[in-house]
Amino acid sequence: MADTEKRTRHNRRVRDDRPVALAMLTPGLVGMIVFIVIPFLTAIFLSFTNRRLGSPLPVEFTGFRQYLLVLTDASFLRAIVNNIIFLLVVVPVQTGLALALALLLNRKLKGMVIFRTLFFMPVVFPMSLIAVIWVLIYAPGQSGMMNSLLEIVTFGYWEPKDFLHNPWLALPAVMLLSVWQGTGFQMIVLLAGLQGIPHTLYEAAALDGAGKWHQFRHVTLPQLRNPLIFVVIVTSILSFRVFDQVRIMTRGGPNDASTTVVFEAIRAGFDRAQVARGAAMTVIFFLIVLTITLIQRHFFRHEE
Amino acid sequence: MILVIIAVLFLPSGCGGGEKDGPERLDIWIHSAQPDERETLLAQVDRFNESQKEIEARATVIPEGSYNGQVQASAVAGDLPDLLEFDGPYMYNYAWQGMLLAIGDRLPGSVTRALLPTLIEQGTYNDTFYSVGNYDSGLGLYADRGKLEKAGVRVPEGPAGAWTIAEFNSALAALAEQDADGKVLDLKLNYGNEYFTYAYSPVLVSAGGDLIDRSDYQSADGVLNGPESVQAMKQVQGWFEKGYVDQNLDDAAFTGGRVALSWVGHWEYGRYSKALGEELVILPLPDFGNGTRTGQGSWNWGITRFAEKPENAVRFLEFILQPGEVLAMVEANGAVPGTRTAIEQSRRYKEDGPLRLFAVQLMEGYSVPRPRTPAYPIISSAFAEAFHDIRNGGDVQTVLDEAVRIIDQDIQTNNGYPPQERKKEQADHHHL
Amino acid sequence: MQRRRLIGNLLNYLFMTVFALLFISPILFMIVGSFKPDAQVLSDMGTLNAFFPDEVTVQNYRDVFERAPFGRYLFNSAVVNGFIVGLGLLVNSLAGYALARLRWRGRRLVLNFVLAVMVIPFEAIAVPLFYQVTVLGWRNDYWVQIFPFIAYPLSIYLFYSFFLGMPKELEEAARIDGAGPLRTFFVIIVPNAKPAFASVAIVTLLLFWGLYLWPLLVTAGESVRPLPLGIATFYTLPPLQWGDILAFGVMMVAPILIVFLLFQRWFVRGVASTGLKG
Repeated sequence: MADTEKRTRHNRRVRDDRPVALAMLTPGLVGMIVFIVIPFLTAIFLSFTNRRLGSPLPVEFTGFRQYLLVLTDASFLRAIVNNIIFLLVVVPVQTGLALALALLLNRKLKGMVIFRTLFFMPVVFPMSLIAVIWVLIYAPGQSGMMNSLLEIVTFGYWEPKDFLHNPWLALPAVMLLSVWQGTGFQMIVLLAGLQGIPHTLYEAAALDGAGKWHQFRHVTLPQLRNPLIFVVIVTSILSFRVFDQVRIMTRGGPNDASTTVVFEAIRAGFDRAQVARGAAMTVIFFLIVLTITLIQRHFFRHEE
Repeated sequence: MILVIIAVLFLPSGCGGGEKDGPERLDIWIHSAQPDERETLLAQVDRFNESQKEIEARATVIPEGSYNGQVQASAVAGDLPDLLEFDGPYMYNYAWQGMLLAIGDRLPGSVTRALLPTLIEQGTYNDTFYSVGNYDSGLGLYADRGKLEKAGVRVPEGPAGAWTIAEFNSALAALAEQDADGKVLDLKLNYGNEYFTYAYSPVLVSAGGDLIDRSDYQSADGVLNGPESVQAMKQVQGWFEKGYVDQNLDDAAFTGGRVALSWVGHWEYGRYSKALGEELVILPLPDFGNGTRTGQGSWNWGITRFAEKPENAVRFLEFILQPGEVLAMVEANGAVPGTRTAIEQSRRYKEDGPLRLFAVQLMEGYSVPRPRTPAYPIISSAFAEAFHDIRNGGDVQTVLDEAVRIIDQDIQTNNGYPPQERKKEQADHHHL
Repeated sequence: MQRRRLIGNLLNYLFMTVFALLFISPILFMIVGSFKPDAQVLSDMGTLNAFFPDEVTVQNYRDVFERAPFGRYLFNSAVVNGFIVGLGLLVNSLAGYALARLRWRGRRLVLNFVLAVMVIPFEAIAVPLFYQVTVLGWRNDYWVQIFPFIAYPLSIYLFYSFFLGMPKELEEAARIDGAGPLRTFFVIIVPNAKPAFASVAIVTLLLFWGLYLWPLLVTAGESVRPLPLGIATFYTLPPLQWGDILAFGVMMVAPILIVFLLFQRWFVRGVASTGLKG
């Protein structure tokens, strides 16, 4: 009896919650609508015009002309290719490295927290700062740090290179620094995943006579599935969002060798005041990111 | 602390009006420039403020990397300062957009008449005088006389005696032989984009090419990617391929004695003459076939349509255009004084002065103005990118074809930049 | 057996130490270089001297204050991030709570909306948002750098999942006592959700402290520009003095590094509990 009374009282409150809930949500919802949804719709709208910032010419609707121009633009296509290369290299390398570090750190030894902090430290550094420091690390000539390091590890076979101005090395150089900066974050996520695996699973596997590799393959990896998926999706999307380091280190060069989709969008929309063109690139960028997300979700769901 | 933060948040930022009593505020944007130039200009602002009580000028330093982007956005946002400094040729675009007020009728005739003809030419668009410079620029090859003599290279005298391109190439080879690492030429690769258009487009003209067809400014096709321009840029690419060019990461290639030649403008004179003393000589750029050509034009001043009291900006311009102030500025940045009187008074530019060459180049027609069209920003960025691609080994014809495509596409999307009627000069006119 | 394990551990430590040193060498290089005379930064770079100063000087640090308005940049960064994080905590925790704990029709819809919006990266709206604020004449102040980031779907989601996992007894007791949802939230939930607030605060601070793209588009001059633009500008400001640039870098990262080291555990918890970012 008391129970039902409680439930009805509760139910009455359920109905009452709506105005309060909306009031609590309003600031957040308004913020997201004004600063995310509306700009996003604006991008779509602008991309069908010839809008230029500050131009005295009248605005015209040009249909799909911006998309046609953008998708036949050599620099933009190169940007898409670069982002794909970035993704194909950085995602496996960074995830693999992060997993290795997480496995190494996942031991009950003293000092692991210190190592964790050290490996994580680059994540704390703003990309703009890291990019500037790495310009120096990639300095051309024998006195450059990266050049000297490569000279040492190749026993003098390495010819000093000008990384950031070499069409073959500019993008790898940007990728290396991105991996360096991002690994710590993936590592933390995976480490948390590892620490969440019940110990009994390993004990059971050990009782069955499973070796270290077997345990890793059949206990660790399946148990890490969710954090791994998360890490892969996030890193893939971040691979398409690369901007700061390109803007500061290479400005997309040489020969568009390191340009990216976002870099092209900002160059058009801001540096060249071609807002409509930048908006079209923005829309394409979003479609790419969305596709990656959907493909990966689909792919991983099917593996289940 | 929190109160301080809140107070700051509500302070007007950017351009404020002179609502309060006291002096009227004059907002000015300046580019970051070399330290000496920046400090001199800031000192001029201080002197101006001390010289009178009605106007208080305030300068904001804007970084050069995104200067044009900032100007464009601020113009639309209505947040431009009263007085704007910009690299000369950007004026055509700014004026076309209706961002600037005409300056010609506002400046006293005595001031405009004293200006160098190159400055008047640069500051005029659509028959209207929009922007004024207190100095013009000089561009040449700074050389270490000792190194030239050791390599047995002829030292040219005056623009008429410029090295031919063949001579220049063999000079580079001879210098490289004397040099430890073979890098003997500094092309200021550490500079930002606009420099490359300024400094290397004269090469095109010297070879018989150009950035764009200047008869109507409607297309770059056949000009920027024509055989003359391609030939010229192949020569430039050759210097990189042969390893003559220093990367200049520390901006000390020439002052540190690593290279014998530095291809740069007037602004390095102070630093270079300090480092090399009597050994420093300044030579004309090599002749690619049609006589030596060099850059001209520099940072300019324009009054924006947001200036509530344009006459205040004019007073500031009159102040910095006084011979004494012009000389103070060129003393700091090495530029060619913007008036003939100042040239004759300048110890560097007068007859037999160490920088006389730069003045002669300007006054005797060796300099090439950058294209006077609203399409200039896109031309400049396309050419600068092409320069980098060529530097990095791209096929010259392909790279220049791509630059032409970018330029022509931009001109077409802007309907050929049709001349706009001069805007009614209202301070509050908002053009969205 | 014991001995084998000892050797194994030693090898483990050795490997980790070498690798960790290699990993943070760029950071060490920055710190050490910032105390060297300018010319030496470049000349030492190709040797191990890069990591060992032989002539310690604080001249670079003095130069930074002389050549750049470092204090101004720092203040701007502090103001902008203070407001983004502070207002963000309030706005997003309220929204997260309404989604997690209140019962009302449309809840699922709004939750899906938040999840959908989370997929839109900031880069996808930078150009149109830049266009909009520009046309509105909203530029070059603190608010334009703050407002777009207050309502943040990731933070809402983090709060949402945290509140979802909180035991219900406390608030039910409060509500039976007649407290409304708002009062319950501020009196009961907030004090008991300190870990969630700490996590979200530190995660968002790390995300926004390095913000570069947006302020690049909407600020000019130095009056309101934050540190990330400060360093990018300082790096292009002639004369190029690498010692000064490194000193700028050290001072720029110091505050955030200290905050991170002090509150590391909350950050790790925030990332780990939800495994989400960006």
